[in-house]
Amino acid sequence: MTFWIVLGIVVLIALWLIMIYNGLVGGRTQAQTAWSQIDVQLKRRHDLIPNLVQVVKDAMGYEQETLTKVIQARNAAVAANAAGPAQAAPAEAALTLATRGLLGLVESYPQLKANDNVKQLQEELTTTENKIAFSRQFYNDSVASYNVRRQSFPAVLAAGSLGFGRMELFNMPESEREVPKVALR
Amino acid sequence: MATTNFVAAQQANRRNTMLLLTGLTVLAALFGYLIGWVLQSQATDDVAPVSSFGVTAAGALAAASIGWSLLSLAFGSRLVNAMAEAREIAKDDAPQLFNVVEEMSIAAGVPMPRVRIMETEALNAFATGTSTSNASIAVTRGLLDQLNRDELQGVVAHEMAHIANLDTRYMTVVGVTVGLIALIADMTLRGLRWGSFSSSRSSSDRKSSGAGILVIVLLVVAIVAPIAAKAVQMAVSRQREYLADATSVQFTRNPNGLIAALTKLAAAAAPFPGVSRATQHLFIVNPIQTFTAQSSALMATHPDIADRIARLRNLGG
Repeated sequence: MTFWIVLGIVVLIALWLIMIYNGLVGGRTQAQTAWSQIDVQLKRRHDLIPNLVQVVKDAMGYEQETLTKVIQARNAAVAANAAGPAQAAPAEAALTLATRGLLGLVESYPQLKANDNVKQLQEELTTTENKIAFSRQFYNDSVASYNVRRQSFPAVLAAGSLGFGRMELFNMPESEREVPKVALR
Repeated sequence: MATTNFVAAQQANRRNTMLLLTGLTVLAALFGYLIGWVLQSQATDDVAPVSSFGVTAAGALAAASIGWSLLSLAFGSRLVNAMAEAREIAKDDAPQLFNVVEEMSIAAGVPMPRVRIMETEALNAFATGTSTSNASIAVTRGLLDQLNRDELQGVVAHEMAHIANLDTRYMTVVGVTVGLIALIADMTLRGLRWGSFSSSRSSSDRKSSGAGILVIVLLVVAIVAPIAAKAVQMAVSRQREYLADATSVQFTRNPNGLIAALTKLAAAAAPFPGVSRATQHLFIVNPIQTFTAQSSALMATHPDIADRIARLRNLGG
């Protein structure tokens, strides 16, 4: 009788541990998938910006300061992107700021807003900016709940040795939230 | 934790769907048993509670309710989209709408649903699908023309919330529950009126009073059951709308988009032709009812829009 009770308790504990382990795997997978979604959108932004800059340049007939800044920020972000979330974040934040400047520039020139190519690229860049923001939101929520899970008892005792490391949030620096100033001439 | 809100809502909806399916089956079986019991007591003047007619009728109705639920889960979405004439579109047909749906599927962490358009001036939208991987979102042409990007995002986020919370599946099953109970009750009342339950060939004094009481019980159940079921459906539907509004803001982090959109939807005068009562509960705002205080009554599919806006303002802080 005692043997069966002990066996039952052991089985229950084993099931409990399996559930915790599967929960950690699920949480980590969700965060990793979310990161790859951010990555897709960041790359898409890197590809879109030169097109929009080129179209705007052609439509305006000269190269504006905003345009050179965007291209510079874009190239810096492409270089930083390979290094992972922590390194990419500041460069991508700077690019977000420069991109808003570019979209603001388009908004303030009627001849640009009327251009069909510009309009189409503007919508694509706007949606890409939104997708970056929303995928970052989803990634950070996923990472936060995964980190809480791996630090909860009893997962915290074994999470490190089983390879469930702490994941990094994708934080953009504070300056990103400032309203960009559009340079008009 | 921000994400656990709609994960918890999904789990609650899964559980409620199972409970409702079980409850429906039991209720239909009990109703069937009662009908069979009454029929047998009329035929044989025997009111013994173990009735072979009852068992047969209970089994038949339980089978019907399970079969109907499974059928509606398998074909319901297709039928609803066909009834509303919601045509599937590709990205080139409406790039901005497509982009906004894509943004919200990323925010919700669900696969990209199909996008549909209904060619009408009315302002409305609905979502269908029995899982996050076979869902679709339909909006009207009027909505596309009259809402700006932020407002459109708010509406799409509301529909995405229905998909992420699995409301679409839940409401399909609820609809079947209510439909089946109404159908059985209707047939029973018709049967009672035409006299197939009461005395027809033989004289009524041959019957015991037990059989008479049973008929009265059946009559009461047939009248009360569909009303109670309908009230439950509407209460569930209104609760789901509030939850979807809140989840929508969780996705967009911008209550103003949905507030502005609901304001426009409430003010819109364009009628929505060809919408039936069968599908009204699926839309973001009720396409049939006018938006007055009466819509907060017991039988309303949707809460009052002013009330929804007030709750959203609270979320905005």
